[in-house]
Amino acid sequence: MGAAGLTLDLALAGLAVGSAAALSGVGLVVTYRATGVLNLAQGAQAMATAYLLRELVVVHHWPLALAAVCCLLVAAPALGVLLDLAVFRPLQRRGAGPAETMVAGIGVFVLLIGAAVLIWGTAPYGDAPPLVEGTALAQPGGHVLRLDTAVQLATVLVLATTVGLVSRYTRFGVRLRAVVDNRALAQLAGVDADRISSAGWAFGSFTAGLVGVLLAPFLLLDPYGLPLLVMETMAVAVAARLRSLPVAVVTGLALGVAQSELTRLRPAGQLLPLAQAVQTNLFVVALLVAALLPWSGGSDDTGLALPGGGRGGRGATAARTACTVLVLLPLGFHADDLRHALLVPALALVLLSVVVVTGYGGQVSLGQAGYAGLGALGTALLMSGKVPGLPALPAVPALLLAVAVTVPLGLLTGWPAIRRRGLALALVTFAVGTALSRLVFDQPYATTGLTVSRDGMPTGDRGFYTVELVLLGVGLLVVRNLHRGRLGRALTAMRDHQAGASAAGVDVPRLKLLVFMAGAGLAALGGGLMALGGQAFDPTAFDPVQGLLWFATVVVAGADSAAGAVLAAALLVGLDAGTAAGVSAVVVGALATVLGRMPGGLAGLARRAADRATVPARPGPGQEAALTPLGRRLRERIAERAP
Amino acid sequence: MTAAGTPGAGLVARGVVRRFGGIAAVDGVDLDAPIGRITALIGPNGAGKSTLFDCLAGAARPDAGQVLLAGRDITRLPDHARARLGLLRTFQQIAAFQGLTVAENVRVGAEQVHRGTGRGLLGLPPPGRDTARAATERALRLLDLDAVRDWPADRLPTGALRLLELARALAATPRVLLLDEPAAGLDQAQTARLGTVLRALAAEGTALLLVEHDVELVARLADAVYVMAAGRVIARGPTASVLADPRVAAAWGAT
Repeated sequence: MGAAGLTLDLALAGLAVGSAAALSGVGLVVTYRATGVLNLAQGAQAMATAYLLRELVVVHHWPLALAAVCCLLVAAPALGVLLDLAVFRPLQRRGAGPAETMVAGIGVFVLLIGAAVLIWGTAPYGDAPPLVEGTALAQPGGHVLRLDTAVQLATVLVLATTVGLVSRYTRFGVRLRAVVDNRALAQLAGVDADRISSAGWAFGSFTAGLVGVLLAPFLLLDPYGLPLLVMETMAVAVAARLRSLPVAVVTGLALGVAQSELTRLRPAGQLLPLAQAVQTNLFVVALLVAALLPWSGGSDDTGLALPGGGRGGRGATAARTACTVLVLLPLGFHADDLRHALLVPALALVLLSVVVVTGYGGQVSLGQAGYAGLGALGTALLMSGKVPGLPALPAVPALLLAVAVTVPLGLLTGWPAIRRRGLALALVTFAVGTALSRLVFDQPYATTGLTVSRDGMPTGDRGFYTVELVLLGVGLLVVRNLHRGRLGRALTAMRDHQAGASAAGVDVPRLKLLVFMAGAGLAALGGGLMALGGQAFDPTAFDPVQGLLWFATVVVAGADSAAGAVLAAALLVGLDAGTAAGVSAVVVGALATVLGRMPGGLAGLARRAADRATVPARPGPGQEAALTPLGRRLRERIAERAP
Repeated sequence: MTAAGTPGAGLVARGVVRRFGGIAAVDGVDLDAPIGRITALIGPNGAGKSTLFDCLAGAARPDAGQVLLAGRDITRLPDHARARLGLLRTFQQIAAFQGLTVAENVRVGAEQVHRGTGRGLLGLPPPGRDTARAATERALRLLDLDAVRDWPADRLPTGALRLLELARALAATPRVLLLDEPAAGLDQAQTARLGTVLRALAAEGTALLLVEHDVELVARLADAVYVMAAGRVIARGPTASVLADPRVAAAWGAT
């Protein structure tokens, strides 16, 4: 077979993944245009539908056609409408910003994954039923065009064309565009904006389900892999700037074909493993590039200044005491329980990194799992003597050096954060975390032959836990210093009003780099301790999906509460060890979806409860003892006017 | 100290142009805000006042022209660097930090020096802490915010928030102060206090430039007035004569 023949064969093979990616892009763009929300939960919706179809067909022996209709035309759209009614519409009614909507989307994602883990477990299934058989359809010149590929391609083109025609030429389309332009104005003009957004969610959820069902047969169906793959195809929607359907379709198909064609490249020598990593993860690279290109979307968003985040306040002492008791308790545990507890201080440090970046600095960062992984990998590499020019180091120096090296790498997300906010920043940080996971942690070139031991530190679990507590203490001290004094004031100023802070002389770009570097260091310390605790480098521990769970956890606990992060770490570990796996994700996800009704997260709730309990001690408007001069004058004036 | 009114000692704009697409929102404006004087910038909506203001404060870069602070070219400096050189501004849309108390808000303005980040991470006090404290106290007293100093900023009413923003700018001991509609939302007593404070600042040698809609306030406070319309300065000079100019009344007329 000639080179041209091979090219054609590879292109045809690439169209299968490409059309699924294009479909995913179409779904995201349509949902975004109809609702103004970038559906971050799409991957999880795809996964849920794929699981449901497999359940009906493989376990309950339904006929495929009936099961497919049930899943794609009933269950998936119903899920979309449910999400609209229960989660996103209340947020929209309240005029919530993009940051809150984004957190809710991540909450749905985490919730669905947790539910899947609870119902179906984490073991992968290899028997997801294909919708269309992969029989050879035609063989022009010996090149096989498979039926399933042809059907997928046709589906994408038909759907995209239909959506395009509907939005251009029908009354519904005109209304849709009116709602997208200005929701309030469209409603005044008599458009039922709620119905439009429900339709958008139903359609988006349908395409998500279709993507999941189409992709599932190509890979093992497990709760993490498929959602992440679908999230990577966000590259397509981002490249289309969430507007253009033709661009989304063309980009999806082109990336699929390119990924397939790239398998022919076999560079010699040391480049080979890296090239292979890129070949299998072209969508990750594309997402990174698409998110990094200058983009107006999200750049004028507000940051993640979640409401209710006051500094200090009542209840803080109680939370701190609870934290101290909780992290000291495991020292009295039995060996088995103590082994589970080893994860708590390490995870607490990773969660603290989110507190610093998101809670204090107001910068969305979905990529902290990547830095935790770098800390773990760095520790492992240094301990295994894999770093040229350095002997194999004992545990503590290896950990500290790995942290020191990861700190400047915080610039990977810190630098893009200077010009990006909100959604755009979220996408970049997610892409960086995913790229680190897929292009480094998952690759044999980085992770073969690693040995992690507690060489040079207390080897017993009790001793190691004590060391962890000491390092957690150091981390908490750094976090506290970032929240107090001049630095703390400047950070809060930047979080609350970036332009105002800048005008008052706060060097905002420098401060952003600082929080991202501090966050990278804390996450790396936590990640390194995770590796030492488990005495192995486990790439799945630093999966980007974990990163989303951790982000949601911190926001739910109260983004700017350090004590909340430590408590949350204990709770996550405790829930997963004490109950079934997946419970923690369900709890966090469910709380994140109702965060709009709970400003400031759980810490905010606690603060308000404490405030109510001590109301007379706190100055506030309407209390006689604490009127401002203005208030006194106002009262006098009202008294003068009163008859 | 330079004598009040010396040209070039305060803030000077030379031929500033700022375009959006093909339209020049600010089209070659020359402006001089000398120290010891209150200069006002007035004009109808859409005249380009706010855009010019952003160019002067550093929130926007002019496409052409120069901005000079005490003779130094600051056209390329970002806003925080200008603030550290003594060019402070307030916002038309109030820019308070909700998560900080009133006193902390003011303190942010008082302590913007580059050094001390490392010390801060170690939990040590930053250099110049006492100076910053003193400046904060002075600004709080000057604007009558002492009584509410420990309130969270989000509990203050609009008028008090305006004064808070001004206090934050004052705490940085400004050489030049840019005020965007400082009297909007103030009650009479607060407006009177504002007037007194601004006069005192000018007497101490600060250059003040205010964008203001309230012509009465401008007439009472300003030493000189610039009138902008459609991106250009159409009249300038001592307040009384400019406000009496019929061309100004014509441009102003609609608003």
